[in-house]
Amino acid sequence: MARINPKFTTELQSYGAFDTNACYNCGNCTAVCSLSDEDNSFPRKMVRYSVLGLENEIQTSLEPWLCYYCGDCSTTCPREAEPGELMMSLRRYLTSKYDWTGFSGMLYKSLSISVIAFVLLAVGVIWFASSLNFEPELLLHYGHYFEMSAIGSVFLLILFPNLIRMWNMVIRKPKVNVSFSAYLKSFSELIVHMFTQKRTLGCDDSQTRWFQHLILVIGYLSLLFTTVFLDWFATNSSFILILGYLESVVIFSVTFIFMIGRLNKKTQVSKNSHPSDWFFVIWLFLMGLSAFVVRLFIDLDILETNIWMYLIHLTVLVQWAVIIVPFGKWTHFLYRSFAMYFEKLKSLSVS
Amino acid sequence: MKKKIGVYVCHCGGNISDYVDVEKVRAEIEKDESVFLSKTTMFACADSNQKDMVTDIAEKQLDGAVVASCSPTLHLLTFSAVAERAGLNKYNYIHANIREQASWAHSDDKVGATKKAIQIVKAAVAKVKRSNALEPFRVAATNAVAVVGAGIAGLRSAIQLAESGAQVYLIEREFFVGGRVAQWDDLFVSNETGKELITRLYDRAMNHKNITLFTGAEIIENSGSVGNISLKVRISPRHMKLDCNEGNLGRAIEVCPVVVPDKFNFNITTRKAIYHNFPGEYPQLPVIDMEHCTRCGECEKVCENVDFSQKDEFLNIKVGSVLLATGFDPYEPKDDEFGYKTIDNVVTLPQFKRLVHYCDDKLVYKGKEVKNIAYIYCVGSRQVDGENKYCSRYCCTATIHAAITAKKKYKDLYNFHFNRGIRTYGKQEVLYDESSRLGDIYLQSFEDHPPVVSKEGDKTIVTINDILTADKTLEVEADLVVLVTGMVPRQDNSIGSLLKIPRGRDNFFNEIHMKLRPVETVIDGVTIAGASQGPKNIMESMNSSLAAATKSFSLIAAGELALSPTIAKIDVDNCLWCGKCDDACPFNALTKTDVDGKQIAVVNGSVCKGCGMCMPVCPSNAIELIGYTDDQIESMIDALVSTD
Repeated sequence: MARINPKFTTELQSYGAFDTNACYNCGNCTAVCSLSDEDNSFPRKMVRYSVLGLENEIQTSLEPWLCYYCGDCSTTCPREAEPGELMMSLRRYLTSKYDWTGFSGMLYKSLSISVIAFVLLAVGVIWFASSLNFEPELLLHYGHYFEMSAIGSVFLLILFPNLIRMWNMVIRKPKVNVSFSAYLKSFSELIVHMFTQKRTLGCDDSQTRWFQHLILVIGYLSLLFTTVFLDWFATNSSFILILGYLESVVIFSVTFIFMIGRLNKKTQVSKNSHPSDWFFVIWLFLMGLSAFVVRLFIDLDILETNIWMYLIHLTVLVQWAVIIVPFGKWTHFLYRSFAMYFEKLKSLSVS
Repeated sequence: MKKKIGVYVCHCGGNISDYVDVEKVRAEIEKDESVFLSKTTMFACADSNQKDMVTDIAEKQLDGAVVASCSPTLHLLTFSAVAERAGLNKYNYIHANIREQASWAHSDDKVGATKKAIQIVKAAVAKVKRSNALEPFRVAATNAVAVVGAGIAGLRSAIQLAESGAQVYLIEREFFVGGRVAQWDDLFVSNETGKELITRLYDRAMNHKNITLFTGAEIIENSGSVGNISLKVRISPRHMKLDCNEGNLGRAIEVCPVVVPDKFNFNITTRKAIYHNFPGEYPQLPVIDMEHCTRCGECEKVCENVDFSQKDEFLNIKVGSVLLATGFDPYEPKDDEFGYKTIDNVVTLPQFKRLVHYCDDKLVYKGKEVKNIAYIYCVGSRQVDGENKYCSRYCCTATIHAAITAKKKYKDLYNFHFNRGIRTYGKQEVLYDESSRLGDIYLQSFEDHPPVVSKEGDKTIVTINDILTADKTLEVEADLVVLVTGMVPRQDNSIGSLLKIPRGRDNFFNEIHMKLRPVETVIDGVTIAGASQGPKNIMESMNSSLAAATKSFSLIAAGELALSPTIAKIDVDNCLWCGKCDDACPFNALTKTDVDGKQIAVVNGSVCKGCGMCMPVCPSNAIELIGYTDDQIESMIDALVSTD
């Protein structure tokens, strides 16, 4: 028994959904979706749950994460109810529900809160830099120190508890019976999907998007590794030096392509951009570009006289690590792959 | 007996001649000395053959004609017309069917088929020898029509008839005209109100000199037949003088101690026994409801216009045709049907519409504000177990329109539609679109698993296994449950019984043919319009009103009616009036009459259909059917059974 809550669609609209109510249950979206099978009706089931406001059913569902937004459903929808965009909004909604701090929801729902958060962090960085008298060596030192501690604390304090909450919502609360060995056996699923996004291949006709996404993820993760653990900005190894350059070029070029796509709105997936989508892609672009320029300035030996450049990079980095990674779109990197993992667990528990 | 008969035997391409030896048929028929001319033809119905026949009949002065071809359903009229064009009375043409009855039926036996064809044609020849020229039976038609019911359909029909030139008697049983439409506010698609539509029609009708309106009037007797129908009308008094002083009237209503549910508002409000019209009702005159009045006399004391001395009046009118536009009743749910009358916040759609009419800023029912409304569709329509198998057509649209109206009128209102498939056909689909975009939620079930309305504490819960959500059990906490009740025939069918109008399986008045003769009834001269015939929306009612008005007018327009002459004829000498013919007649065409001191049966020519039911029951064989006399039929039988 589930009670209908007609107010839910209004809430979903604050996550970016629109016109979901226009759905008249024709099922074209399900017919065209390559993910649909006998057990899972993509995306109509989620559309219906959303229209009826069945929050409990939505929160225990993994479907929103299993959809990689090819947009076929939205282009075939005779009512222009945008089922694809609804799935996107449900991912934002779920991210907010998984997040124990509640910041995700606030940032997704309110652009002004997001802007204020970005501005406050920028002011904080500049205030901190001024307290160090804009001393380049100190700044670089603390910058590197921040990177290392941010990775650890964001993961430990925010992301790990949120993953536990996700597990609780989709596995424990619905009483999915999973054996311990299943957790181990399916673990490879998590790793494979985290680093390859293999599932996207089944979604798009063209595999360009998957390829761009893949090299972006690899570029991003390896630049993270290169800067944090190989200390790119201070390295003497020419291998690491070139590696860092390459990685940052990959990041800002691919994100540049993504931004152009979102501006042109030619494909269904890039037609509707929520502020959080823009923040994600712009900040990733700025990260790559500013890191590249900072290293270039170091190599040209002009950074000390142009420390503002490093300040820009540090600001972008702090905003990225404190807002976008724990509470923003970055989390989809984790939730998507964990969703594949949990889905596998669910399938094992059935058999 | 005729001596110059022409016979044409048709090949029908090969349909006949492949199995029947048409040349042999012709040769056999030719032997009859009354047959002056006999021919075979490839296609008797072809233009060239029709022309040849006209020439033959006219030049050779034939006195009878037979075509042996296909079923008379196909071409009897064709060859009757050929005969008339050639100057031969059409009743001297006889059709013989040797295709369906011989060649097609006996394609395995060519010899037998040919033999049978010969006998069929011989029988036709035998009949035509004895046939007589007949002329249509003509009756004078009164240029007046009685329109029964002054709802939107009756008003529209009356105006149409009056403008065509007929005298119209508009007879309304209630004291006010306007019917159901007067009870409704905004209507899709123009958003005009029912009141506005009725006002417009009423003004037009009252300004036309040909229309006479009777309210509180009922037809109680009826006699005669198409063209000349006599009606007796009883007119109940209003018990109010016509020049009524409004001020005193208000006092009279105030002092009246009798409080009864107000039918105009479907019993959600009450009125007094003395009451005034609603704005959409006409005429604007008060009335005393004598069914409930206790004659206490309080009103008389304060209002000098009250007049209890008024009596029923009776009026005899004569009309050529009757048009019935008696409308429908909304279905009244049974007690406890979806909680009706057992759960306090369950109402019907008509009640809901009146409720919305009366609530301005907030929708309040029984003191509680309404936020969530559950509409349960198809109550009393498309019944699995009940008698009403039909779809009431108007309710999906009316409900969605009412839901949108309520949603726009009141803040934070939510609509839940528990339906069995939405049928907002045609242009009405835009309403469904608007409603779903406004956030109305549609839940659907099959007829065998209807939603359930139940009480949990002080909450009303509607539960459904929603087939749009994989049969998941869903529930809504409803502040108001609206039962979407369909249309049923008028409970009081006195006019239908009086005029003997047949009713269909749905119990609404039945037309002769739903597609080809959609407004005529088997009772000649009586047409039907609007929802008396079956559920219709206003647009459809207007279509049928105009059609019925035109059909009724066509009966009387020429001043006389030409009726078929093939009717029963009484042999005055032999008839002894036993009444058996009267019992057998389905049309009440026979009446016991005194003719020169003798009681005999007399046929009303404008009522008799020539069905022949009276003939075999007559013990003294005093009835003949013109065009099908015993002599003719016996000679045909002789021809069919002859062995030579």
